[in-house]
Amino acid sequence: MAQTAVRMDESALIRAAQAGDQSAFEQLVRQYDQSVLRLALNLLRSPEDANDVYQEAFLRVFRNLHNFRFDCSFHTWLYRIVTNLCLDALRKRRVRKEETTVVETSDGVLDRMDTVEESRAHGNPQRQLMSNELKGRIRQVLEGLTPRERMVFELRHYQGMRLRAIGETLGTSEEAAKNCLFRATQKMRASLGDFV
Amino acid sequence: MTCEEVRNNLPLFLYGELSFDAEDQLESHLDECELCRSDLARERTLHAAFDHAELTVTSDALRASRQEFQSRLSASAKGHDSFWGNLREMFTVKFHMPSVAQPIGALALVAMGFFGARFVPAGALGGFVSAGVADPIASRVRYVEPEASGRIQIVVEETRQRTLTGNMGDERIQRLLLTAAKDPADPGLRVESMDLLKSRPEMADVRSALLYALRHDANAGVRLKALEGLKGSAGDPEVRQTLSQVLLADKNPGVRTQVIDLLIQQKEQPQMVGVLQELMRKEDNGYVRMRCQKALHDMKASVESF
Repeated sequence: MAQTAVRMDESALIRAAQAGDQSAFEQLVRQYDQSVLRLALNLLRSPEDANDVYQEAFLRVFRNLHNFRFDCSFHTWLYRIVTNLCLDALRKRRVRKEETTVVETSDGVLDRMDTVEESRAHGNPQRQLMSNELKGRIRQVLEGLTPRERMVFELRHYQGMRLRAIGETLGTSEEAAKNCLFRATQKMRASLGDFV
Repeated sequence: MTCEEVRNNLPLFLYGELSFDAEDQLESHLDECELCRSDLARERTLHAAFDHAELTVTSDALRASRQEFQSRLSASAKGHDSFWGNLREMFTVKFHMPSVAQPIGALALVAMGFFGARFVPAGALGGFVSAGVADPIASRVRYVEPEASGRIQIVVEETRQRTLTGNMGDERIQRLLLTAAKDPADPGLRVESMDLLKSRPEMADVRSALLYALRHDANAGVRLKALEGLKGSAGDPEVRQTLSQVLLADKNPGVRTQVIDLLIQQKEQPQMVGVLQELMRKEDNGYVRMRCQKALHDMKASVESF
């Protein structure tokens, strides 16, 4: 069954999953789950919250896949679910002011994000030092963005999505997404300008 | 393009999101303006700096998320089973009913399965709010945020509904009913859809849906509807094979009883005796055992296999 599913293109995979083929559903999840987890992790900067989004997003996919009518790409449909969940989490966090990833433990103060792997700056101590400082600065800047600005920046910069696709995913126009990205980069330039 | 316009457009330029004309104008300006070229160099450095802050997902984290998701999916599927399991236990272990009362108990199980499916709220499974059919738009408030100005920002999720009408001969209606018959969040909808589909068991898609529901649906009411639809096809080898499997595996005694009734219509089939003898070996429900024993007796077969 799994080998048959490997050869399926995405629409065949979706149709098989809609018909109740569990192996097709699992394969569909595995095609996207790493990028979903990465998106949630970078947006929420919390491994636990990122995992919560992962679980809820794919459970919603499981419950609602039968309603998917191929009106848009599966990627757009899935990312609509994921971005809504992330936006909700970011907005709630803003209200509760729970942005910090720093926790007090019996061994002292720890930043939970230190346990998460960064994509670059391995092996070179000087670069690592610069990277850590920069990481802190960028984190502060990202916290200053509105949830939507942060989302658009994340999708464009880290996920490499075009503004048109971002607009479609977020249920807005390409122009609105462009304005959002513009505001985000202006804010970041203002905050990090002295660093570069 | 002025220096200020160029400066504002540099991020979009680096992301390749400027229009062809705007990009052309910006590049022409850069050729002439050293100050803007140095701004571009700074913008590039800033752009690259963000890459340092990107977090990557470790293979351990991904594995853990996948495992948790698998468990949640399984738990979600077992939710229904545990209900029926408890119900079965109530009738088989705790209540030692006299043999006369056992058929009544089995009938009660059938009725509870059927009506339970109709009245289980959809929200109990999916957590989604369903709207009335008459409502053209179903709204759900996703988020509420009071603003400093005293205004309130509310994010509303809307689902637009459409009403379709047609008869059972309409291919579009058939397709939608087949989809609704597999809706994992709403057993009531599955029962209603199955009730309509069972009038067309001669259609290959419908027969597949009935067989699938009989084998896999978590709700006994839906499985009973599927059985009704297969009544006329009990002689079909594929249906007979499915019935044999369901008889030995289904957790609901009401379903097993109905399956026996269908199978004994095929009493000339010698393999039916073996299936019923196998059931006698493992069945713990008194009423089902009694029905099975009677079926074997009518077929002039021994109750036990040797």
